[in-house]
Amino acid sequence: MKVILDGKEVDAEAGRTILEVARANGVDIPTLCHVPALEPAAMCRLCTVELVEGRRSRLVTACNFPLRGEVEIKTDTPRLRKGRKVLIELLHTRCPDSVVLKELAERYGADLARFPDDNKDCVVCGLCVRVCERIGANVLALSGRGVEIRVNTSFGRTARHCIGCGACAQICPVEKIRIRDEEAERVVIVCGREAARIPLRPCSSCGKPFGPVIDLSLVMERAGEAQVPAFNLLVCPACSRRSHARRLAERHFEQYDIEPAPGGGAE
Amino acid sequence: MPEAQAICQEPEVDFTVLDRIIFDDYGGNREAMIMMMQAIQRQYRFLPEPALQYISQAIGIPLTKIYEVATFYASFSLVPKGRHIMHVCTGTACHLKGSGGLVQHVAARMGLDGGGTTPDLKFTLETVNCLGACAVSPVVVLDDRYYPKANVGQLNRLIEQIDTE
Repeated sequence: MKVILDGKEVDAEAGRTILEVARANGVDIPTLCHVPALEPAAMCRLCTVELVEGRRSRLVTACNFPLRGEVEIKTDTPRLRKGRKVLIELLHTRCPDSVVLKELAERYGADLARFPDDNKDCVVCGLCVRVCERIGANVLALSGRGVEIRVNTSFGRTARHCIGCGACAQICPVEKIRIRDEEAERVVIVCGREAARIPLRPCSSCGKPFGPVIDLSLVMERAGEAQVPAFNLLVCPACSRRSHARRLAERHFEQYDIEPAPGGGAE
Repeated sequence: MPEAQAICQEPEVDFTVLDRIIFDDYGGNREAMIMMMQAIQRQYRFLPEPALQYISQAIGIPLTKIYEVATFYASFSLVPKGRHIMHVCTGTACHLKGSGGLVQHVAARMGLDGGGTTPDLKFTLETVNCLGACAVSPVVVLDDRYYPKANVGQLNRLIEQIDTE
């Protein structure tokens, strides 16, 4: 199947999205809410492109528009640039200190002072919610609708069933989700609010908390390794490495003195 | 008011009723989640949290997804509503015909701040955006009964009826 992409004829497999075909052909369409591993949701609208049908063209979101026939697509027209500029200006009001939005603003000549700031630390792209469903433990939800939609937890309470995987913080395009280990608890902060709090597991060797106390069987099942423990659940990685190194040394280098030098920083 | 105190408490969720709704009426089918929620809302006049948790377990849909749906639709409520629910239309036509005044009047009379539920859970006042009956505006709906061309005197009589219960 052939499609015309920005005036050039390119090959496209039927059923692929416009975004996939464009990226495969080196055409950059900006996105905030798209990650190839997750179902597209078309939340940020930045990937909007023009689909030419006869003499008319309509605007569609590239990330979730599967190609069915031989069509013409334009990804960078004055109409699109203008739309993206306004979108960036509006998204920026919700996240005034986002680096990604500043870069996009530069690219599309957005006037970041045009609208007053309304800092919400979130652009409601929904990535954290989608990744939490896929990788995490269904802690995050998009509650409400329209202007009231926001990333939330069930009943707005601090969740206790979070597994502390950190996927939400890693995937957030504006890098506003924070994960902090406090004493013996891991805290997930979304939109400036405490979304989840989970106890940390203390290392049986050094006693320092090192990972969240969670139901690992669920995680390993999802990872496709129902039976194989990924790591020793009782010892922290640092202690585990140390004891492993010690055993190696004892086995192969017994002629050497493996006791740490007095005062030497063996830790 | 010891009686009011008792009414204020959240109703005890009867899990046999939930089982009947989830499994007998809808066969435990996850596609029927919204219908189950509507049935629960009819039963309790809101969605009690334990009931939502029970559906989540019963049909295998995460509680967060159910919460998303419950907060998306205005017809679902997560807080208890009154035994009598009044909707006042504030659509364009009703607004021009003075529905704002009706809302103010009822709210003041029931001691509500622009809308909501009285503490004794007797009465809930809500505004809606359009009821599709603009020709007979302003429209008021009390307990699913429509009152066209509503006026303050008529609403006063309705409220008096509720008050005397």
